[in-house]
Amino acid sequence: MTTAFSHSDPSGSNAQDRSNRETFLNHIASSLGRPRKMDGVQRPAWKHTVHLDTLADRNQDELIEILKEQCTFIHTQVIESTPERLQRTLDDLIASFGGGPVMRSGDSRFAEYGLSFPGDSVWSPEASREDNVRLAEAANVALVFADYALAESGTVVLESRPDQGRALHFLPAHYIAVIQRDSIVPRSTQAMAAYHRRHGAGEALGSCINMISGPSNSADIEMQLVVGVHGPLQATYVLI
Amino acid sequence: MSLKTDNREFGVRTEDGIGDAFMRGAVGSAQDSLKTRRLTAATTLGDWERWRELGQQIRQHTLENLDFYLGQMADNVERRGGHVFFARTKEEASQYIRQVVERKNARKIVKSKSMVTEEIEMNHVLAQIGCEIIETDLGEYILQEDDWDPPSHIVAPALHKNRNQIKDVFAKKLRYEGDETPEHLARFARKVLREKFLEAEVGITGCNFAVANLGAINLVTNEGNGDLVAALPKTQIAVMGMERIVPTLEEMEVLDNLLCRSAVGQKLTSYITVMGPRQAGEVDGPEEFHLVIVDNGRSDILAGEFREALQCIRCGACLNVCPVYRHIGGHAYGSIYPGPIGAVITPLLGGYDDYKELPYASSLCGACTDVCPVKIPLHEQLILHRQNIVSQGRTGAADRIQMKAAGKFLSSPGLFGSTLRLAYSMTKLMSKHGRIVRGPGPIEGWIGIRDMPQPVKKRDGFRAWYTQREQPTSHSAGTQVPGSSGEAGAMTSIDHLDQDGAVRQTDPRVYDSYPSGTRTPGSLGQAGAAASKDRLGQPGAVQPSDPGMPTSQPTDPHVSASRPSPGRDVSVEEASSRIGKGGDNA
Repeated sequence: MTTAFSHSDPSGSNAQDRSNRETFLNHIASSLGRPRKMDGVQRPAWKHTVHLDTLADRNQDELIEILKEQCTFIHTQVIESTPERLQRTLDDLIASFGGGPVMRSGDSRFAEYGLSFPGDSVWSPEASREDNVRLAEAANVALVFADYALAESGTVVLESRPDQGRALHFLPAHYIAVIQRDSIVPRSTQAMAAYHRRHGAGEALGSCINMISGPSNSADIEMQLVVGVHGPLQATYVLI
Repeated sequence: MSLKTDNREFGVRTEDGIGDAFMRGAVGSAQDSLKTRRLTAATTLGDWERWRELGQQIRQHTLENLDFYLGQMADNVERRGGHVFFARTKEEASQYIRQVVERKNARKIVKSKSMVTEEIEMNHVLAQIGCEIIETDLGEYILQEDDWDPPSHIVAPALHKNRNQIKDVFAKKLRYEGDETPEHLARFARKVLREKFLEAEVGITGCNFAVANLGAINLVTNEGNGDLVAALPKTQIAVMGMERIVPTLEEMEVLDNLLCRSAVGQKLTSYITVMGPRQAGEVDGPEEFHLVIVDNGRSDILAGEFREALQCIRCGACLNVCPVYRHIGGHAYGSIYPGPIGAVITPLLGGYDDYKELPYASSLCGACTDVCPVKIPLHEQLILHRQNIVSQGRTGAADRIQMKAAGKFLSSPGLFGSTLRLAYSMTKLMSKHGRIVRGPGPIEGWIGIRDMPQPVKKRDGFRAWYTQREQPTSHSAGTQVPGSSGEAGAMTSIDHLDQDGAVRQTDPRVYDSYPSGTRTPGSLGQAGAAASKDRLGQPGAVQPSDPGMPTSQPTDPHVSASRPSPGRDVSVEEASSRIGKGGDNA
């Protein structure tokens, strides 16, 4: 164990952590053959804009078609619905998965669209961590609203919030994400740029931003695709 | 596990790999599948060369300002309530992690796949203090249950095992009673591991990219295990190699796109997550978050001529196109980092004493360089290693004597000529049917693997033929080859042939997606491809059917000499696939 290390025991003082960090970063600067850069580094103008240009010229209807097509490649069912029919669509879907238990996020849009699911549970900061996790683990269906959907990759993007926990997307066997048509953007570029802007404007982001593209899967056994590993076995998007 | 996965000699390890028919079949078909998926993903995206250049620029900018970005990252992690530890060595890193675990009195630990935790021998250190560490990536879990069998691929660690072997491991260790269907095996693992997730006190993850201005880490997975490791236990420890950092979410997004396409041919993997400590009001996620930033030799790489190797985003695309990896498999490299990138970075992290053979585990075909999404000049770095190894006098005595002798002969035209004259009679006793089949000491290593054509009698040699040849007719003036600066001629001659007689076939689809300027149009696209197809199995023969080549006119040696660097100018993916198919991986 080195001196630098014993100084930076997790319970050690901040000053000692600081000194270890300074030594480490100064060493990097010397490896780079120049004085330490503490500030003033700007991102250069990137030489290409391919990420910005890809699919940028598509209108909303075209993006929806791209999203639907991509979902056929990622084992994800897409159901088109409307705000009026949404309750019915979700009820039918849940029934097709063998019914509840259902756990949903506490998103205000559930109330806005007048949705209710008898006997469901809601991810809630009022309940303990253990209770929320236990309910999510017991749930057959998870129900959430996407912040954004990415047409190119068939992805829903969601941010963690007090009323929308991280494990909710992973523990239940079936995952249903409701996508509002106007939240569909061409690709990951636009969604990440939006979070980047919000962060730059001083807004506090949740501890977690999830980009979820279909159900969990693995090809670790003989490169053969198995859908449904640690996360959901099935994923469904409902477009409204 | 440590960087080193096998203490035996390199030769023994490769013999093992070559003799393992199942492994070779598995690697071959995995390569074919991943390679095709990558190519399809890149072609579908379009402008792939520009994407690569962008990825390269982002990585280089970040490395050039690494001290700044790591400082920024640390500030922001702390601002969000996390702890950061900078570890100069692997010991510092694993001891810090041990202390965190001890302070939490934790015994049950779940882990998602991370190469750097192998590098710092973390599992070993934690097992020593009585912790149960569970690898939750399906492939890694299989390896763990098989008594910590080493991984053989960066992305698909259990590539070398078949379903029956996996079933046997599960049956023996976990009392699995089902069949060998991958889906059943995976469901069984899901059930066992779900319990482990729920009861774990500490979760340990790697880090695909740290996002400096946000103070968050980015994980890219398909199984969802990384997210459960980070969401459920109350303490998370994330471990990252110090180079794995980007300025903002915007650059992360570009690199994630390159990574997913290059690794597995997906547009995005199922789960791409940006994560950090639990924030105020949130219910789950880590209440205590530690980020361990590991140097362990990387600052030396940063300072030296191999800096570009730190651009690596661990996609494994170079493994999937490598003809050497195809034949010897991942274990033969004796390192947790196999394949071309492993052959570059393992000697840098582990030293030439243990790994001086790895830079020679390459045909220098350049396929790796061609697919690298961040444009690391992998095969050039392998040559650089070889130069270092030779100049440090690390080659064997036999090699040195041989090279010295070759230097003598090659630098003196007189000696060279007279040796050529005698070559036929000198090799007569060693040869059979025009092939050298045995040889003295130093050349035995070569002859043992393949036959070498016996030098011809002087009167049958090229020089004799050249002076006595029919003189060219008026329209072909020797050095004149139509096309841009004679490259067409060069490309359709000897460079298309490699040792197995396979042809590097040009795939016009690839070139359609490249901007002009990176290739020479016309030198390859049509003429080269058409001509090279005719060459299979005719080493050295000049084909009169070359459109750009006058009939009965040999390739001018000056033209060949001015050829572009090998491997950069042909679709090497196609080449390596043909090498494989020409082999015995059926």
